[in-house]
Amino acid sequence: MKELNCRGLTCPAPVLQVRELLDKGTPSVVSVIVDNKAAVENVRRFLEYKGFQVQEEKFGVDFRLLGTAMEGACEVIPDLEAEINPEVRKIMVMVGTNRLGHGDDGLGKALLINFIKTLPEMGRDLWRLIFVNSGVYLTTEGSEALPVLRQLVEDGVYIMACGACLEHFKLMDKKQVGETTNMLDIVTSMQLADSVINI
Amino acid sequence: MTVAAVNQLRQHKLWEKIIVTDEKIVRLTQTVKGAGCAAKLPPGDLDRALCGLDLPVDDNLIVGLERADDAGVYRVSDDLALVQTLDFFPPMVDDPYSFGRIAAANALSDVYAMGGTPKTAMNIVAFPAKTLDIAVLRAVVEGGLFTLRQAGVVLVGGHTVEDDELKYGLSVTGFIHPERILTKKSLKVGDKLLLTKRLGTGIVCTAIKAGMAGETITQQVVESMMTLNREAALAMADYEISACTDITGFGFLGHLAEMVVDSGAGLHINSAAVPLYPEALEWAMMGLIPAGAYNNRTFRGEFVTFAPDVGQEIQDILFDPQTSGGLLIAVSDAEAAALRDDLRARGVQDAAIVGEVVAEPQEKIIVE
Repeated sequence: MKELNCRGLTCPAPVLQVRELLDKGTPSVVSVIVDNKAAVENVRRFLEYKGFQVQEEKFGVDFRLLGTAMEGACEVIPDLEAEINPEVRKIMVMVGTNRLGHGDDGLGKALLINFIKTLPEMGRDLWRLIFVNSGVYLTTEGSEALPVLRQLVEDGVYIMACGACLEHFKLMDKKQVGETTNMLDIVTSMQLADSVINI
Repeated sequence: MTVAAVNQLRQHKLWEKIIVTDEKIVRLTQTVKGAGCAAKLPPGDLDRALCGLDLPVDDNLIVGLERADDAGVYRVSDDLALVQTLDFFPPMVDDPYSFGRIAAANALSDVYAMGGTPKTAMNIVAFPAKTLDIAVLRAVVEGGLFTLRQAGVVLVGGHTVEDDELKYGLSVTGFIHPERILTKKSLKVGDKLLLTKRLGTGIVCTAIKAGMAGETITQQVVESMMTLNREAALAMADYEISACTDITGFGFLGHLAEMVVDSGAGLHINSAAVPLYPEALEWAMMGLIPAGAYNNRTFRGEFVTFAPDVGQEIQDILFDPQTSGGLLIAVSDAEAAALRDDLRARGVQDAAIVGEVVAEPQEKIIVE
């Protein structure tokens, strides 16, 4: 999925950003966040014009449009990895905690950091890394996992942090890495993944 | 944009004056958030700000704020009244000289729409002196003067303030006979509605800002916005006109809604007959629609009923805020065709009969 944050942009800027994104290749799912009604309407029209089915939802004080490429949409370009090597699997790792296993909490936290640091061993098979519940702490200021997460983003892994969870822990402005996501993205990701690993 | 590209534009007379600062071409539309009449405060907000104000009373004020007409009219004597109006906005085109011409044509239009003759004007300027070369201001004002000369209007002064964004316009004063004022609110059942310019300038300007409009359409729409409504107004003088307004920021349907409110009549619009820029249809489909169009629909949509076969893009264009749009004239059925032909003969090529005034449903606009 491709995400665009068009908050603070007035028409026609949001449409132009979406166009620029689609010019690089058509993603199967695209998410656009805008903060005004005119932009909602215009981005919706543009996505529909480009052959996407569009869902609209409130996103905090803003709006979010989720476009899903329909059949016959301007030819959908498969994920880059799959293009290079059709053998590549799509593994999604969902981290729903800030510690690994039960018993000693201090040990659990250290183990989870170690787990994240070892994830790059999956190579290209690691497709998406999603943080929910207290797992979102790993993406925020002061997290020991930040350097390796940033490296993973550079290597093309898509990292997402649950927006509702960030809000719950009042961490929205502390997030340092990854895109903010919602349940629909998470469910869509699970559906698209070849396998899902839950921590 | 490269200097070579600009030279090409210059050859095509697209930009009459080119401003180059530090080897870079200033694209005026990239320096502002809103564009032209699309930058108007949403009509609902304006109503909230102005309703219930305690206004001074004067018997000689024939058309005042409460009438929400194109311009105010103040009686000086039994055969002379002053018609006064003011309009200014941020640039909707990149060339400062063309912007000046458009702003002036737009400001003068309200006087023509009332059936008056503009006489004097004053400049209103907000200028970002820290970010734009002063030569830009010079070109804007020269453009305004060009249009004033076309209209036979003298510039008597002006006022300039420093601001973050460029804005330009004029306050215009004209003469009118107190018995021959054309207001919005005097529709007669059976009248035909005539529109003198094509619709879609807001959408086309959005496409220009987005860098998606080609030379031909850009030139066409700039030319139309620079065109005075003077010929149309002169033609009207010879016919039986019951009401008139000019189409600007509230869009075609927004201005029609102002006409039907409290008129005791309704309007029937034939959308297929409405002159428009065909390119705007595709851009509307792509979402290159100014925010003002959505505001207009929100504020005035309740007056309008669309037949099921009127496409979304047509609806968008009918709500599209126009900059320096045409006149909308209510003329007797018997004279409508003759006025249209007269307008075309005077060079108002796009003039078309777009609808009629009907008895029922009252205060509604049916678009088919």
